[in-house]
Amino acid sequence: MADTLLSIQDLSIAYQVGALDVVAVSEASFDVPQGAIVGLVGESGCGKTTMARALTRVIADNARIAAGAMQFAGQDLAAMSEREMNNLRWRDISFIPQSAMNSLDPVYRVEYQILEVLRDRGGMSKQQARARAVELFEMVGIDPGRLRDFPHQFSGGMRQRAAIALALALNPKLVVADEPVTALDVIIQRQILDQLRSLQRDLGLSVIMVTHDISVVAYICDRTVVMYAGKVVENCDTATLLNEPLHPYTMGLKNAFPDLQSAGTGVLTPIAGSPPDLIDPPKGCRFAPRCPFATELCRSTEPPLTEAAADHHVACHRADEAATLREVAQDPATWGTAA
Amino acid sequence: MSTLKPFLIRTLQLMLVLWAVVTILFLMFRLMPGNPLAAYIDPTFTAEQQEALIRQFGLDKPLWQQYFTYLGNLLQGELGYSFRYRTPVAERIMLLLPNTLILTFSSLIVAYTFGILAGAWLAWKRNSRFEAAALPAVLATRAMPEFWLGMVLLAIFSFSLGWFPAGGTRSAGTSYDSLWQLYTSANFLSHLFLPMMTLAIYSQGLPLLLMRSNMLDVMKEDFVTMAKIKGLSPSAVVIRHGARNALLPVMTSFAIAVGYQLQGNVVVESVFSWPGLGRELVNAVAASDYPLAQGAFLMIAIVVITMNLIADLLYTFLDPRISHA
Amino acid sequence: MPDTSVKATSSGIARIFEAIKLPVGDPFALAGLIIYALFIFTAIAAPLIAPYDPTEILYTEDYDLASDLLPGEEGHILGTTSLGRDIFSQIVWGARSALLVGFTAAFMVAFIGSVVGLLAGYFGGRVDAFLMRLADVAFGIPFLPFVIVISAFSEPSIWNTVIAMALVLWRDTGRVIRSQVLSLRSRGYVEAARVVGSSDLKIILRHITPNILPLSFLYGSIAIGWAILTEASISFLGFGDPDAISWGFMLQDAFASQALARQAYHWFIPPGLAIILVVSAGFFISRGYENLLFPKLGR
Repeated sequence: MADTLLSIQDLSIAYQVGALDVVAVSEASFDVPQGAIVGLVGESGCGKTTMARALTRVIADNARIAAGAMQFAGQDLAAMSEREMNNLRWRDISFIPQSAMNSLDPVYRVEYQILEVLRDRGGMSKQQARARAVELFEMVGIDPGRLRDFPHQFSGGMRQRAAIALALALNPKLVVADEPVTALDVIIQRQILDQLRSLQRDLGLSVIMVTHDISVVAYICDRTVVMYAGKVVENCDTATLLNEPLHPYTMGLKNAFPDLQSAGTGVLTPIAGSPPDLIDPPKGCRFAPRCPFATELCRSTEPPLTEAAADHHVACHRADEAATLREVAQDPATWGTAA
Repeated sequence: MSTLKPFLIRTLQLMLVLWAVVTILFLMFRLMPGNPLAAYIDPTFTAEQQEALIRQFGLDKPLWQQYFTYLGNLLQGELGYSFRYRTPVAERIMLLLPNTLILTFSSLIVAYTFGILAGAWLAWKRNSRFEAAALPAVLATRAMPEFWLGMVLLAIFSFSLGWFPAGGTRSAGTSYDSLWQLYTSANFLSHLFLPMMTLAIYSQGLPLLLMRSNMLDVMKEDFVTMAKIKGLSPSAVVIRHGARNALLPVMTSFAIAVGYQLQGNVVVESVFSWPGLGRELVNAVAASDYPLAQGAFLMIAIVVITMNLIADLLYTFLDPRISHA
Repeated sequence: MPDTSVKATSSGIARIFEAIKLPVGDPFALAGLIIYALFIFTAIAAPLIAPYDPTEILYTEDYDLASDLLPGEEGHILGTTSLGRDIFSQIVWGARSALLVGFTAAFMVAFIGSVVGLLAGYFGGRVDAFLMRLADVAFGIPFLPFVIVISAFSEPSIWNTVIAMALVLWRDTGRVIRSQVLSLRSRGYVEAARVVGSSDLKIILRHITPNILPLSFLYGSIAIGWAILTEASISFLGFGDPDAISWGFMLQDAFASQALARQAYHWFIPPGLAIILVVSAGFFISRGYENLLFPKLGR
């Protein structure tokens, strides 16, 4: 296995809401190997976006990193000074936002926004930056003639490509992509994911791909971390996750999304119920209230994240019965929404 | 071009508005109590003068004919003769317009410069004690009668401290070779200072509050968050991306403020005996110099309407989402 | 579009009261309401509070004209004017003029604006086009010069000034109410009432009016301040009602009597402060009201 670029260790992130602390990410741990795409998947509100933003340390005013470490190339991102952190931003860790429309400044031309990063953060001269901008646009497949356009003149797909170009501008080690294709239609999604994949291979990048869509994970990610209600519930390589999931939530998630490759014709089965309120999370396993396989133990005691098989981490009391549970999970009736 | 058409429609609309205002003006001065001829003819004019004016303005004709004569005269810039000055109204107005425009623009430039900076600063300091004290203070400046503020400044800085002259545009007995020389002289500028500050203090609240609330909105935008994630310096984040976006509606409001300011000038010019259009309007109305009052009113209306148009235009021009559609 | 819809459960007067509920939760608005309460009390009880008739020319015990007395002299709280009138009494009576002007103008502005907005928004088409062009014209009229000319050329009275203000100021209210009506009209229950065959009048009164009342009230409360400031300007310029003692009149009196050159701050500062107090109280109330109606606009 390749070297580890980033290692998240027992990371907790809390939002202060009134007098209460809401823990959006709770004791999460996982590794990102050098040169791999790691998916971070879960329903909205599971803490995956909070986690992604924590890697840049640009988080909401009322949020704070409460505990844990983020070891990045030998340094703890959580512990370093704001000055040191700012030095790393975009040069080492860049970000692809979900909505490229709102994340490009509407009053400046796209070129200006690329040059801004290349010159302010990359220390390039104007000529160097211009040449690099053209190169970047060619890399992501946009006609460099469109550099002088304003963001609103781009199509949704072009904006997302521009956002990728922007993220690659300074040759970062790690790119955090927050739902980069969610707003696009399936065909464009696939084109952009293909592009991202080939760029990632060519440049030897590490990518964290945040998504709610397990088919995106299946399509592009080497490894996958499944999150539920602020907790990491399963973490292994993607092929294993899809073929032999150990956690019932992963099994349910798999049923709930179409396959990106076959443009999905199968029946989709959503998981009934909704994630728990993080102000007052359930006592035992957080998924227990929605889990068709939950036992008394699940409801009373929280399962720890353990290595159930080689390089396969899961937080479930019944992980050893997974093979049987998988059979049952195939039946839509199990999830209580078959009708 | 696609951006030109709505602009042309708007221009046309405002031409219609101008026509409507001109018509209201005509009726207002024609329907006032007393002799309808009084709108143009002073009893002290000589018989020949009266005769000539009756012919020029068709005052012996029915009302509707007078109306068309009036429109025709207006199109040629013919506004009649002032009763008091015995000179053409248009000439008199053109003489006073520069004074009013200088006062208006200088005060608004000061007000907007201060208001934009202070508004951005207040947004930066949101939820602080400083903000809690500053906001009601700013609202109170909007609640002041402008002329009263002028009186207070006049009493303190002119009568008590003697730092500035009490009124007019220059000291008695001084003369200048050209208007440019006058306007750039220390004498003129010291006369300008107090009325300018009066209007500026009153006007800064609008850009300040607008800038502040826009900044608060813009700083929540994704592109500002992205600028932080890019590791750009705080000044680049706040000024280049925050303020630049928040400024757009503030700049548009500048043109509208010119129109409002011109109306506020009416009282402040009176306090400082500033020979501008507003004071002239008041004096003309008080002295029943109808042609002059009508002319001054019309000129103010033209500036107000033009500024409304410029506000639209500015908005289109400054926002690339519209100008590069 | 701001959603100000009121749950149509209670009916009639109860619903109106529910619609115009006062923003007592906001500290600034509460301060504004207290100032308003004091202001209204002063206006009503002016004859009881004011020690003198505000227009009476007063004499000292030695039968000299009691002119230009300083605050405290001869028992005059704020001193006297050059004509020997009691300044404090004028301030008290000025509240009455301000109240009268502010509230009547606000009522007229809110009323005209709401009716125009209702008609334009509800009937649309030509009615809408006509009324909105009318609003454009009102926006093209220089407000203060217009009020000056009307006040000067008509009988000098507070009412003519108020009418002149209302003739222009309805424009903002009209536009806002119109867009509110447009959004209300597209909602289910108005459509439903139509299908059931309710008459236009019934729909307007029953379903639309209660929902625009808060906005009318908001714009009315903003107009109070405008009206008081404008009346002060008109009086200051000498076009006001000569029989009414208003704060603007006091300032004109002080200005014309060289109070500035004579540093008679006690004469011209109090009327200005009175205006600021009442007008900013109005601002605080309307701001609190706005936050109540459109919470998302507040910071």
